[in-house]
Amino acid sequence: MIEPEMAAVFVGSSLRLAAPLLLAATGELVSERAGVLNMSVEGMMLTGAFAGAVGSWATGSPAAGLALGVLCVLPVAWLQAFLSITLRANQIVTGIGINILALGATTLGYRALFGSRSRAEIPGLDKWAPPGLADLPYLGEHVFRQTWLLYAAAVLVMGVAWAMRATSLGLAIHSAGTAPQAAANSGLPVNRIRYGAVLFAGFMSALAGCFLSIGDIHTFTEGMTGGAGYLAIAAVIFGNWKLGRTLLACVLFGAATALQFQLPALGVQVPSALLIMLPYVLALLAVGGLVGRQVAPAALTQPFGGR
Amino acid sequence: MNAALAWKSLRPGPAVWVSMAAVGGALLAGTAMVALMGVSVRDAIGAFAEGAWGSPYALAASINRALVFMLVGLGFILAERANLTNVGGEGQIAVGGIAATALCLWSPVAALPFGLAFIVPMLGACLAGAFWGGIAGVLRVKAGTNEVIATLLLSFIAIWMVYGSVQSESLLRRPMTSAATLPESLEIPAVTQLPLLMGDASMPLHIGLPIGLVLAAAVAVVLGFTVLGLKLRAAGLNPRAARRAGMAIDRLTIGALCAAGALGGLAGACMLQGEQYTLKAGFSSGYGFDGLVVGLLARGSVPGVLAGSLLFGFLRSGGINMEMVAQVPTALVVVIQGLIIVTLGGAALAIQRMEKRNYV
Repeated sequence: MIEPEMAAVFVGSSLRLAAPLLLAATGELVSERAGVLNMSVEGMMLTGAFAGAVGSWATGSPAAGLALGVLCVLPVAWLQAFLSITLRANQIVTGIGINILALGATTLGYRALFGSRSRAEIPGLDKWAPPGLADLPYLGEHVFRQTWLLYAAAVLVMGVAWAMRATSLGLAIHSAGTAPQAAANSGLPVNRIRYGAVLFAGFMSALAGCFLSIGDIHTFTEGMTGGAGYLAIAAVIFGNWKLGRTLLACVLFGAATALQFQLPALGVQVPSALLIMLPYVLALLAVGGLVGRQVAPAALTQPFGGR
Repeated sequence: MNAALAWKSLRPGPAVWVSMAAVGGALLAGTAMVALMGVSVRDAIGAFAEGAWGSPYALAASINRALVFMLVGLGFILAERANLTNVGGEGQIAVGGIAATALCLWSPVAALPFGLAFIVPMLGACLAGAFWGGIAGVLRVKAGTNEVIATLLLSFIAIWMVYGSVQSESLLRRPMTSAATLPESLEIPAVTQLPLLMGDASMPLHIGLPIGLVLAAAVAVVLGFTVLGLKLRAAGLNPRAARRAGMAIDRLTIGALCAAGALGGLAGACMLQGEQYTLKAGFSSGYGFDGLVVGLLARGSVPGVLAGSLLFGFLRSGGINMEMVAQVPTALVVVIQGLIIVTLGGAALAIQRMEKRNYV
């Protein structure tokens, strides 16, 4: 028998776990649509999580932390853009390099600022529930009362959906990743569009990282993203480079993670390894063509030589 | 390949100089960071050297690490020749480790004569790795799936398979005698452990090292001097033309990824049977990604793989000792590694241009 309170807790924690994936995957989607496979989401999220935690801890204001998080990730995103667009380096190599660099640098920074074993409690972002919905039984407390960043994320994602579908900017981004030469011939600054897309992915990854450190658990631990960035990339693939399906994938992945904590409480014995693995297996099935035909942007990972 | 050309390909080209500059620069930056942390640079370097090559034991530990990186790196350049990027070393190590553990703990294997007790698990690990790499190859051929994405996803799946297999007693977890029983496998029997070259454990170099070196030579020969190497290159440069010329591109693709996977699986067996002896969660410990980096930086050359794996082997060992003795977080080594990858990755196009200029 599943109690309504438990179901509400499950839905709420699925959403909370899906939110950082959602933010990062949306940024990644824009970047991949423009033709840049941004493998460094993981590193950008980690940098964002660290800088957000430091900012919030030093100033006592989580909003300042969020700002610092974004500010510190933008140079990282710029580095990724510079390497893969201007220097035309292998996007996968440089992405993995940046991830390793970010892991090392944040660990060093954390040790230098907090010492090796501190578990400093860091002021976190406020929780908020939409008026009216807050008073619903169960749902109000467990589902709708969330960090305001989650609601901001929903608005941002809707904004991206609109921009990608209905504006000339969205069309320009699509064409930069599908037919860069044709786009350049028609006068679009392909590489500048790509720079913008990668910086936007950095912005979204920074928010995602901050969501982890100052939105969800109010502390920073070394390597705390633990593959969430790669999961976001998997979500984009599973979503067949379409925003709606990508969001669905994020929620699915979030729910799979939430189940890990919920099933034991229900007395169901499922090996937790299987549930952690599930998102990657689903993504693999998706890229393997078992969930419909995957169509990646035609010029994905290909540097563009013109301007 | 005539003699003059062979000599030219051996002479250090721009790639070597740029690589050395990148490594030197990253090491300098690391030293500067040590100074910034307020630790005596002398102490830190002393601790690093001590941990990397200061004693026979430390030297052997570094070389054993380098062996793992080398095997994964060799697999990487083999697949790279066919224009396939295998980023799945981590997962191939993991499945190799699982297979080797399962076989070592299976009593009929331990009872085998003539050293087969440790050889069979190694072969099993190769097969498991080949299977894991082969999945990516089949997906690439049948569904056109990008092998980077497939091998990366397969890595994460394999890492959690290790975690899962040591959580359950019906799989590989040691029997629970108390609540404090760790989630890890039993220690593998002594006959299935890789024989030590020096006889005693003060310098624990094991038989995996000569095997690895022979394989390195074999990869160099296959890539440089055989029809198969030429076919791989043709498949990588222009698959359509190669197919027109009658080459079985699909089989080459799957085969290259299987071979890369087998080398990764063997690396897993060397880690388990040569050093760790028990399977734990997090067994692969990032070595597959280090090996991937070694392969990337080698730019397709076997001597490059050897040099890179030694460098990273010493870096890792020295870094661990630096943390224990001089209170410099081992994350410093991670930063140095990241710097090397980013600089060399960024300089790749410039190196290519310099090489072209040299040849014309």
